[in-house]
Amino acid sequence: MNEIKQRLQDIVDRDATHECAGFGKHALCVRAVAVADLPTRFGDFHIVAFWNNRDEKDHVAIIRGDVVGHADVPMRVHSECLTGDALGSVRCDCRDQLEAALKRISELGEGLVLYLRQEGRGIGLLNKIRAYSLQDGGLDTVEANLALGFRDDERDYAIAAHMLMSLDVRSARVMTNNPNKLEQLKGYGITVAGRIPHVLPPNEHNRFYLETKARRSGHYINFGAELILPEQSDTGIAPDSAE
Amino acid sequence: MDHGLVFLHGQSPDFLQALREVPGCWLDHWPSVVRGTGTPCQPDAFVHGAWRMAHANGINAFPKHLANGLDVVLETTVTGFELGGQDITVLATRGGEPVSFVARDVVLALAGPQSLALLDSPNSWRGIEPVRALLAMMPSVPSATVIALYQPENAEVPPWDIWYPETSAALLLVAHDSAKRDNPKNVALVLQARPAWSRAILSTDEGVWVPELLGDAARNIGSWVARPRTWQAHMWHHARTSPDCELAGPLLLDLERSRRIGIAGELFAPGGGVQAAWQSGKQLALRLLEEAQG
Repeated sequence: MNEIKQRLQDIVDRDATHECAGFGKHALCVRAVAVADLPTRFGDFHIVAFWNNRDEKDHVAIIRGDVVGHADVPMRVHSECLTGDALGSVRCDCRDQLEAALKRISELGEGLVLYLRQEGRGIGLLNKIRAYSLQDGGLDTVEANLALGFRDDERDYAIAAHMLMSLDVRSARVMTNNPNKLEQLKGYGITVAGRIPHVLPPNEHNRFYLETKARRSGHYINFGAELILPEQSDTGIAPDSAE
Repeated sequence: MDHGLVFLHGQSPDFLQALREVPGCWLDHWPSVVRGTGTPCQPDAFVHGAWRMAHANGINAFPKHLANGLDVVLETTVTGFELGGQDITVLATRGGEPVSFVARDVVLALAGPQSLALLDSPNSWRGIEPVRALLAMMPSVPSATVIALYQPENAEVPPWDIWYPETSAALLLVAHDSAKRDNPKNVALVLQARPAWSRAILSTDEGVWVPELLGDAARNIGSWVARPRTWQAHMWHHARTSPDCELAGPLLLDLERSRRIGIAGELFAPGGGVQAAWQSGKQLALRLLEEAQG
């Protein structure tokens, strides 16, 4: 076992008896339970599986290089999207976002993707398909989600915050266009050292979805993929599509 | 005697506390003796951490308690709404005669299809279309139920509180209701039919389907079940939300001139059941209060 993997294994060993007061309104606590090599088409990673005390959704960290005890670690928090990630749906940009993050982190040599199994909580997937059905009838994403009873962005990043602390990541540079994600992570005590813009070009199917995200949810997206915010001037680390 | 729900269950401390505040005797952990491997209509009732309760005066002691102090109008059927002036006019009939009520805020606490039917007429309301489209995707399921009473000398006392048959196409459950009481005068069973079977007999006379349901129970429990001293049947057209339907919270529709229609109920909170109905109603009430207080 190499040194990097051993450090992750040490975390797994340490977490075997981990209990804490938990994060967020649901007092969510996670434990790292297993680590393995994960060779991918984007490069070689390690994968760490996490158990949580809230539901039966197992989350994973996909890690490139040595992040344990490090600061300014490039990081992407990605919420599971069956239709996009696995089935290649172009109704959203989830798969593009995931692949761009893995590719960029591989190029950087260090970083991690926290892959959160949030979509399937409760009957989330069913309601997502219902939301698609409403959109097919001409209703935009946010309207559909409100009609379905969800808040604009109902995902809770307590899990991500606890996973980062378990991995002893001192501070993170977050690959996101979502201001809510940054605020939630800060609220849970994560030091956000910066934002890495994560702008990908829209396609004919998801342009409306992305425009809605930008207009109604306050996401940092410019459809000319131009650099429009101060933090997006970080061109040295901007994703390929924004370069 | 419980003709619909035979017990309540929940995990939320707030909800369980609200139940505790109902006067009278609660039977904690009822049903405690469960037989059969059929699927309960609310499987969450039997997971670790769930609390089950029955009330000596019947489960409807809970809504009666919640209605204390409210001006409740019975025997009146709401048929629709009209927007007039600054308020919402609720159109209804009572004894065949039209009646109406006027309010600034109206809350619908019904099954999804019932709310949809009431929202079906005023097409021009702003924001109503996504709500109607959503409710149209959220069906409820029916349940045919029978309360059957047996003289003790003509019956056996079932050795269970509730039975979930695994092989019957008709029966969802049989509850031994008289097990809720000390020294009951009769053996009382409540039979609930499966949703698909109930849907198939929606327009069938109860004189036909009740003997069928009792006969199915008799084949599994004992021949005496087919011969009750008396029985009472009811068809619940919207017994519960379909288990694949669940929303995260209640809806509050802002109409023109600050008029609002709120929609709450079992569908509008995670988990379903009475707990979800209570939680969504409370959540909606808090929203209305917060907005009224500015």
